[in-house]
Amino acid sequence: MASRSNYQNRIELLQGTLDMLILRTLQWGPQHGHGIGQAIRASSGEVLQVETGSLYPALHRLERQGWLASEWGLSENKQRAKYYRLTAAGKKQLSAEQSKWDLLVKAITGVMRPAN
Amino acid sequence: MNWHGWKWTLARLLRLGRADQDLDEEIRAHLAIDMQQRIDVGESPEAARLDAVKEFGNVALVKEVTRQMWTFPSLERLWQDARYAVRSLSRSPGFTVVSLAALALGIGATTAMFTVLYSVILRPLPFPEADRLVTLWEKPPRGARFNVVSLVNFKAWKERARSFEAMAAYNEGTTNLVGAGEPVQITAANVTADFFRVLRVQPVLGRGFATGEDGPSALPFVVLSHGFWMRHFGGQADVIGRRVSIGGTRREIIGVMPPDFAFPGRRVEVFVPVRVEYSGRDFRVVARLRPGVSAAGAEAEMISIAAGTAAENPGMNSGWSVTLTPLHEHTVGAIRPLVRVLFAAVLFVLLIACANVANLLLMRAAEREHEMSLRLALGAGRWHLAHQLTVESLILTVAGGLGGVVVAMWGLRALLATLPADFPLPRVDEISADATVLWFAILLCVSIGLLFGTVPVFFSAWRGLSESLRGGARSAAPRQRRFRQAMVVTEVAVALVLVIGAGLMIRGLLRLHQVELGFQPERVLAIRMVMLPGKPTSQAQAVDDVLRRVRSLSQVAAASSISILPMSGINSGTWYYRADRPEPELANRPSGDISIVMPDYFRTMGIPMLMGRDFGDQDRYGGTHTGVLNRTAAKALFGAESPIGKRLTVSWNEAGVVEIVGMVEDIRHRNPQSRPEPCLFLLNTQLPFPLVSLVIRTSSDPRSLVSAIKREIQEVDADQGVAEVQTMEERIANAGAQPRVQAWGFTAFSLIALALACIGIYGVISHTVSQRTREMGVRVALGADRLNIFGQILRESLTVAGAGIAVGVLASLALTRYLETLLFDIKPTDAGVYTGVVILMLIVAASASYFPSQRAAKVDPVIALRNE
Repeated sequence: MASRSNYQNRIELLQGTLDMLILRTLQWGPQHGHGIGQAIRASSGEVLQVETGSLYPALHRLERQGWLASEWGLSENKQRAKYYRLTAAGKKQLSAEQSKWDLLVKAITGVMRPAN
Repeated sequence: MNWHGWKWTLARLLRLGRADQDLDEEIRAHLAIDMQQRIDVGESPEAARLDAVKEFGNVALVKEVTRQMWTFPSLERLWQDARYAVRSLSRSPGFTVVSLAALALGIGATTAMFTVLYSVILRPLPFPEADRLVTLWEKPPRGARFNVVSLVNFKAWKERARSFEAMAAYNEGTTNLVGAGEPVQITAANVTADFFRVLRVQPVLGRGFATGEDGPSALPFVVLSHGFWMRHFGGQADVIGRRVSIGGTRREIIGVMPPDFAFPGRRVEVFVPVRVEYSGRDFRVVARLRPGVSAAGAEAEMISIAAGTAAENPGMNSGWSVTLTPLHEHTVGAIRPLVRVLFAAVLFVLLIACANVANLLLMRAAEREHEMSLRLALGAGRWHLAHQLTVESLILTVAGGLGGVVVAMWGLRALLATLPADFPLPRVDEISADATVLWFAILLCVSIGLLFGTVPVFFSAWRGLSESLRGGARSAAPRQRRFRQAMVVTEVAVALVLVIGAGLMIRGLLRLHQVELGFQPERVLAIRMVMLPGKPTSQAQAVDDVLRRVRSLSQVAAASSISILPMSGINSGTWYYRADRPEPELANRPSGDISIVMPDYFRTMGIPMLMGRDFGDQDRYGGTHTGVLNRTAAKALFGAESPIGKRLTVSWNEAGVVEIVGMVEDIRHRNPQSRPEPCLFLLNTQLPFPLVSLVIRTSSDPRSLVSAIKREIQEVDADQGVAEVQTMEERIANAGAQPRVQAWGFTAFSLIALALACIGIYGVISHTVSQRTREMGVRVALGADRLNIFGQILRESLTVAGAGIAVGVLASLALTRYLETLLFDIKPTDAGVYTGVVILMLIVAASASYFPSQRAAKVDPVIALRNE
């Protein structure tokens, strides 16, 4: 099974990072839950695999926050699916998370690989 | 959670079934898409399905954790705590029932009284923009600030004043109605054309009076009240244009007012335009301020206008000015002190109820100390325990409060339904609960509940497990005990204040019943009427004929008439002076009452003749005008001299010079509360007056003679109706309505307070005794005298009660002066009432602590010690 080989490479997501990843993924347009999970996996080079038990609660939590909105649509295969999209508040939240993340990466990189 | 979150969650909860289906479908879609992708890369459909499911994981678990995002985290907790609270409350039914009852009494009574306060005092009058409505009065050179207005001056005001949008004059009068079976007399309001426009009330049918439809040239129109329309025309829509005979005039009906229109009073049945123009001061004035004009500004303008009219017409207006009062103030001003005092009383009741429940909760918390400590030890947070106690007290207050409010509202409605339609308190028919009252009740329940929740939390510094479970530490923390005792002191003190208030009012009411009215009201029938229009002499003749016929009835002992009956709250007034002295200055004319009577009035009413004689057949129309003075008037005019044979100059219609032929004892004419005014009696035969009320003393039940008397009246004139038939005793009872209402209200509240205080004392002493069972047991085992123990507990409780009584007496001395205006003939510091109430309170406190003290004395040492 394809996912088996990736298991060893999987890393635990930092608390709160999943929300950011979802928001980021939806920047390219509305997507359903399966598509979001796949996109994260693909763009992380198969490193990040999002459990459905984390993905769906996160989607509903973000919708409740008002950062996502959802509506039913049809997938490429004419499958009825629930599509999530970024709201205006979600976009704002994403850019805030983005800059916070950049700062964090810079800081952690500085600690882990100190420039001589 | 932010606002969006609440909305989103609530929407989910409201369509919970739908949301579940949505989630199912979302997961099904996920699986379907995954499976399709696997098939697309070559897996067999069967393998694809299995792999998709495997990769997805536990569907039920995913659903569960996702669903958690839909609930209110705190709501869930609230629900849990509420269920726990209900279970725990039902485990101690005694505590629960007593607390619920106390809260129901306190909150219910408070809400009911708030309904009255709000409906009568606070709520605007039932007119659009009612805050701009004002009343205008003439202000006489001396004395009263509010005198009725002359139409001549009203016209001047209306023409000159710029502060008002509209202004109308009106008065009420009794008038004869013919053509509806037996002739009756009804109350009519004579109004100027702008009357309805000032109030901004539209008729439900037809129209009101148009501008200019008043005055001598006005057409005989009439606007009906809703009640009159229903009673006499069965609510038919085609009454407009029909005619009714009112006061001897055929009038065309042009409109019908809405059912809730009750201005100037509910008894008014028809509105007719003022068609006369005379200078007598006889009208009330209501006006609507222009937007932005203040009452003070309008009054200033009116005072300057009055200065102008005084200069133009000094004979009539010299020294007169104007007073302006908002209509709301004019309507409720007199009743406000009573309603406020009753509301304060009910707040006291609420305070006692709260103290009671706080105490009960505290005792319960003390009893549950084990439970709480155990739960703390098992990992429950202090905050959670506090949360839970608060939920418990909220459930208590909301349940008790709701029950109380429902019962109180039902009771209030039942009480109001028993009041007569002409009950002499303003706006009684407007008393009703609305959203404001509901919010008040909710706010009251919730704030009391929150307050109570914190009391046990504040006082129960839950100790560590070991300390609590060691169990020996049975006696309550001293801080708690002091708090409980303070609560009982408060309860006793507050109850004492209320009982003293009630005592003062009841004492006043009893005095009022004992007051010497000056006449014998038993078996006297009073029939109020106004004579049909006609020549004064023929009106007087008709009265004489009626009286002759009535006197010949078998059970009539005596019969006469008077212009304005005793116990009407008013009397005609004018001024008169000794004919042998110069006319007094306008500014210090002595005023006095005038009563126009027929012969035999004094004997009929049982008023003693002190000197001279009654009117008789020798006092004829056209002869020398004769008069009778009451004692107060005679003393004021003639001092110690005999008034008999003296002459007065009287300003009253054609009276002129009047010779005094007799002097009678004073009576309380207006109402039982007011002291006798000086009064001059004149004879209706000599100076006929259209207002004639028959007074008839009978030898049996006066009510049984009503139809016979009415028959005799119609024998004299078939069209003559009567306005009102009452016994004199009923009139006296009505005149004393306010003192009665306040005394009963206060008594009811103070009885509730007393009962609650009793429960409070009983509860605290019982608790103390049960906490000290062990001590008692040891003492009995060591040979202590049981009587001694009994006495000690009783003494302890009486000490607490005594402190309450002392505080209560001091508080009463400070507070009862606010009752002074409501008390009749009794000082707010009446020593008799105070002593009586203190003794009553001691007895109540002693009996409330008797049973627990006895229980303490009967403790069986074996059982008490085994308890440990």
